[in-house]
Amino acid sequence: MIETDILVIGAGPAGSTAAKHAAMAGSSVILMDKKSEIGTPKRCAEGVSKEGLKKLGIEPSERWVTKEASGIRMVSPKGIAVNLTEDKVKLPEAGYILERKVFDKYMAMDAGRAGAQIMIKTLATGMRRENGQMVVTAERMGEEFQIKAKIVIAADGPESRVGRWAGLRTSLKPKDMESCAQFEMAGVEMEEPDCIEFYFGSVSPGGYAWIFPKGDDIANVGLGVLTTMTDKSAYEHLLEFVKNNSATKNAQAVEINVGGDPVGGLLKKKVTDNVLVTGDAASMVNPLTGGGIISGMLGGRIAGQVAAQAVIEGDYSKKSLEIYEELCENEVGKSFEKYLKAKNYLLSLSDEELDQIAEAFQDSDFESINTAEMIRKLVKISPKALLKLGKLF
Amino acid sequence: MIVKEWCMYCGECAGVCPRNLIEVREISLNFNEENCKDCRICVKACPVQALEKGDD
Repeated sequence: MIETDILVIGAGPAGSTAAKHAAMAGSSVILMDKKSEIGTPKRCAEGVSKEGLKKLGIEPSERWVTKEASGIRMVSPKGIAVNLTEDKVKLPEAGYILERKVFDKYMAMDAGRAGAQIMIKTLATGMRRENGQMVVTAERMGEEFQIKAKIVIAADGPESRVGRWAGLRTSLKPKDMESCAQFEMAGVEMEEPDCIEFYFGSVSPGGYAWIFPKGDDIANVGLGVLTTMTDKSAYEHLLEFVKNNSATKNAQAVEINVGGDPVGGLLKKKVTDNVLVTGDAASMVNPLTGGGIISGMLGGRIAGQVAAQAVIEGDYSKKSLEIYEELCENEVGKSFEKYLKAKNYLLSLSDEELDQIAEAFQDSDFESINTAEMIRKLVKISPKALLKLGKLF
Repeated sequence: MIVKEWCMYCGECAGVCPRNLIEVREISLNFNEENCKDCRICVKACPVQALEKGDD
């Protein structure tokens, strides 16, 4: 049987970051992924904030940055656009559009360089507790084997099973899982090619549609829906969106991506004896934007550090690992609560109300707008909906 | 469960299965049908309608 201090299951950005930091702290680490190529197929719109990467100490590389986005363009159902560009408003979320197939691999390579042993095309098929440690059964290219680990970090995505094997309830209700579909397209004609675009309303019930530019005429064009709010599939909504949008009606798809995005807010119980859950598997995703690369990596870093410390102390109990929950709460969880309120507000608005809001804000100079003024404008449109915002501002 | 040829193994079905009965491999899905209570949450969640219950 193979033995290791820490076994990380899933080599997405969160898992690789966990593996890297655990290895840097001196633990022996195995990082496994079921796929033949880490990062493929990609799972999202590929946007990250510059600030987030900086916080993680990751230097942007031309290998995986396709485009710098300097602004945000939000479009109402009727087509009224509100542009938030850097010249108008200071944007903390300005960022990069990545090439995730390269980025994810690059992050795994970083983990490997830090000392983690990487196993690709390796699927975890089961897990049991034995003498205070975890034994994971795995399968690789027809070979079955077992790995004994002091601590297992579950970074196995929204379809997470590892957490459930350990008795944690990582299963998601349909209202907490956006169903997403996306094309990568060429021949996209964007009005503001330096902005990431969001389209709200019935075009994408329960979520929004997006166009994220990747340089030249290339963009990720996708959307997320809540299956509780529509009878059509995400793919059907996407076909309609692409056909009806002026930026994409002449574009050609070269790739399709689909998948679930866990937007219900941070998983409450992320820890049990010998096991930590991180990344998408722990719903480390901004519930408003659905973005989870940076937050997953921030959570992954904490998971790696907490696990390595537990190895040093020789205590892998739930009690010893529980500090992870508190640290995650402070790093990402608290902000998620605010975003969840904002999302619920957004979902409560009709197409007409969204149009009215876009009208009220389209020529605003956001630099001079204050919160009171913003609320006055929103109250005029729907006082009832605004109530749901609670103490957001 | 019938898995259509266009399934992309994204795993959303596994994420919403309340009984943890779906194993997502790189290019296959395994269903533990014995314990399935026919809630069809997975069928509804699929972004590309690639799942169909056999008796439909």
